[in-house]
Amino acid sequence: MESARHVFRVLFLLLVVVVIFSVGRTFLVPKSYGAYGPYRFDNVAEQAAVRPPQHGGSASCGACHAERLKAVTAGAHRKVGCEVCHAPLARHVRDGARSAPMPVDRSFTLCARCHRRIEGRPAAFPQIVLAQHQGGVEGTACIDCHEPHSPKL
Amino acid sequence: MDETESDARAPAPPPAPEPVGRREFLANALRLGGGVLVFLSGAPALGEDHVAEGYDWTQHRYAYLIDTEKCIGCGSCVRACKAENGVPDGFFRTWVERYVVSPEASHVDSPKGGLDGFPPIQTPFTPTKSFFVPKMCNHCKETPCVQVCPVGASYRTQDGLVLVDAERCIGCGYCVQACPYGSRFLSPTTHTAEKCTWCYHRVTKGLKPACVEVCPTATRQFGDMRREDDPVRLAIAHGRVSVLQPHLLTEPQCFYLGLDKEVR
Repeated sequence: MESARHVFRVLFLLLVVVVIFSVGRTFLVPKSYGAYGPYRFDNVAEQAAVRPPQHGGSASCGACHAERLKAVTAGAHRKVGCEVCHAPLARHVRDGARSAPMPVDRSFTLCARCHRRIEGRPAAFPQIVLAQHQGGVEGTACIDCHEPHSPKL
Repeated sequence: MDETESDARAPAPPPAPEPVGRREFLANALRLGGGVLVFLSGAPALGEDHVAEGYDWTQHRYAYLIDTEKCIGCGSCVRACKAENGVPDGFFRTWVERYVVSPEASHVDSPKGGLDGFPPIQTPFTPTKSFFVPKMCNHCKETPCVQVCPVGASYRTQDGLVLVDAERCIGCGYCVQACPYGSRFLSPTTHTAEKCTWCYHRVTKGLKPACVEVCPTATRQFGDMRREDDPVRLAIAHGRVSVLQPHLLTEPQCFYLGLDKEVR
């Protein structure tokens, strides 16, 4: 009889531990944790919807600026997306309507990022050394002479 | 002689129930208890098996291809990444490095991660070759960053990305130290680990990552290894590609073309 009481006590204690553990676990562990591995699966969907895409690609620009896009895709800058020189679509369009003017950078520095001759660029890529270019002075806008959307070299 | 035999054959007294020793009982109880705990913890509530509208993550396995011979170091990718993901100032999810190399010496720079492009440079040696190398999270298959995370905040998705759950991240920074490519940082605003997500909010909608979208020379390409005719898959399958620090066996999923020995 004595041994049965011992057994009961230990089993009861074990039951209490298991209950506390499982109740505590349901409060502490997120719902989707462990569904596909040791992480919270809900976060995958959260990451997929973390923010609306900011860049739309040149095709999305062409929805309104078809003529401009046609000129760009015919010229030497055909591989350069609109958003490279301007800004992400989301800064200009919200819910399919124009929300703010698109920034236009007419500076020398914008062109220089790609076309200034520096150590590192592939030799075949068109680059200029400013001092040897039309007696150019740093700060003079390239687009005074070159059409940025379809430049002639 | 007879006596001893008859003794041996004498019917044994009815066997008393074998008493369970305390030690044995406790050991069995622990085993049973442990089993119950394992059973409970191994039976999670299955979440909604749904990542995004019309997107099945088992149908994709992404990979990234960087052709270093095409990179002109304009930094458009770095600016696009910042704009797309709101990366805090002074931190980078992707960056561009410039290698200026001669047989005797080499110089590496990455001013502001290449955000504003690169300035002309004077080196104390005469360079014999120079090139740009865009870098980012390699989304390794056997990634050390996930292995060291103590709270299950870093994980690898079934479509092949390594992501960070900012809600679970405690900002301990183990993963930042574990990453051999320096791809992670602790965000100064959220104080959690942050890194390249291959623009998961874009790729799940069928768009390319922002850096790939804006790259003017197609240095950066993004592809799906589950699509037989994918250009990136074909390039990796048939071309001679390399990865950064292959000796670490992290199995990076960013593949490089034209990688130089100077690049780490």
